[in-house]
Amino acid sequence: MQLRFETRRAKAADTRRQLMAASCALLGAAAARGEEARMAPADSGLLEDWSVDSALAYYHEDGRIQAIEPVVNIAKLFADGQALNFNVTFDSLTGSSPNGALTSRSAQTFASPSGKSSHAYTTAPGQLPVDPHYQDDRIAVAGTWALPLTRVDQLSVGAKLSDEHDFFSVTVDASIAHDFNEKNTTLSFGISEEFDSLQPIGGAPVAGSDYALFEKTGHKSKNGVGALLGVTQVVTRNWLFEFNLSVDRFKGYLNDPYKITSIIDSAGNTTGYEFESRPDQRTRKSAYWENRVALGRQISTGLALRYMRDDWGVRSDTAQLHLRWSFSNLDRYVEPTFRWYRQTAANFYTPFILSTETRNTPYEASDSRLGAFHALTYGLKYAQKLPGLGGREESELSLRVEYYQQTFDERTATPAALQGLDLYPGLKAVLVQVGWRF
Amino acid sequence: MTFKQVSILCLLSITAISSGCASMGVKPWQRDVLAREDMRFDANPLDAAIDDHMYFSKEASSGGRSFAGGGCGCN
Repeated sequence: MQLRFETRRAKAADTRRQLMAASCALLGAAAARGEEARMAPADSGLLEDWSVDSALAYYHEDGRIQAIEPVVNIAKLFADGQALNFNVTFDSLTGSSPNGALTSRSAQTFASPSGKSSHAYTTAPGQLPVDPHYQDDRIAVAGTWALPLTRVDQLSVGAKLSDEHDFFSVTVDASIAHDFNEKNTTLSFGISEEFDSLQPIGGAPVAGSDYALFEKTGHKSKNGVGALLGVTQVVTRNWLFEFNLSVDRFKGYLNDPYKITSIIDSAGNTTGYEFESRPDQRTRKSAYWENRVALGRQISTGLALRYMRDDWGVRSDTAQLHLRWSFSNLDRYVEPTFRWYRQTAANFYTPFILSTETRNTPYEASDSRLGAFHALTYGLKYAQKLPGLGGREESELSLRVEYYQQTFDERTATPAALQGLDLYPGLKAVLVQVGWRF
Repeated sequence: MTFKQVSILCLLSITAISSGCASMGVKPWQRDVLAREDMRFDANPLDAAIDDHMYFSKEASSGGRSFAGGGCGCN
């Protein structure tokens, strides 16, 4: 009798879990993204247990920086529908970072950002100038609380702190989501506010000032505010999508304090450098459309498209496609990913300043991230389900590898003396990530 | 095509889809496939976060899926 009662209770709990999972299917809306906790098996009595998602990523750029990034995410879904989510991320970066100066036929000597003579470095002729002493550690913590207001409304609030030795950031956000059309449609709206404090090594350079004068001031700040309007729609039993419109606006010191721009004469000789000078405001707008389609019991695919533009003149298009194929009774899956990205250059981007040329804008930056390029990412993930820990139904171990390549699309006409040098070396990077969740 | 045109086009498409197909969607008992883990937009949140951080530090665009920014001094 007791056994039958337990069996019935387990079945009821299992049914309840399935219904909850089904009702949560729409929680992929922007407001709910990241807040939905994975549910522990109800029949284990661990519905309120924390679920853990962790990863260790290694990132390596060809000849430049490398990074190690451990991440841990813990989540808890309460019986009343509330969800808590906490995340801790640590980054450790070392290596060589481009300082923005142009490759030259002569050796170039640079001071370190701190001005310490022991950290001065010299770049050989024909080589891209990089600061070989780049080193940075970052720790970030984030928390999100999702709270059902009614059967069809959900409020979500979050906060994020990020700390580096020369940068500190606080972000807060709040979103509200409303389900209707039998929970086939979810509308969401969210706002965010970001406060950043910059304490660059050696001080923040005066924008556009002569590098040789080493004009630096104290710490700087920038603030951003953003809004996101999203709709998630179930189209058929096998297809759902989300569409987001977002806008954000940043104000303050938007320069990279460690980037300089070469000044060259008509013969191609470097005659000096300037600290970069970007506008102190930037507004970005984006449209994002992501789809999920099940192609059978074992295969599903996702396609995401994004269009973005800002008032610096950057326009970008992004398309990302992945396919997930499960096998071995759904205990394993492989997931190939392909991403294509293209951006135009900011209006003030220039790989160098020609000293003989009249400048028609007070702004300039040679940061290649503001140039025109396209990038391709090829990725592959393998995951294996394993027995669960602590009474949980299962755990998952995964390995992910990505290759990322950037190629410049527009090249400025250069003096004849510089032709033959690789002025636009692009970027090649590899990411390897091991993941474990339970 | 400008951002405004793209947005209007997308919104019109969404509106047309949503209003033109009032029957769009499924009944509660037809959510078996949609409830699958691989059908969730945040099926792999750490993968997405690590990728976003990489792209944020190497490209001029970020966000779209959620709020932009990155709380990182790398860009």
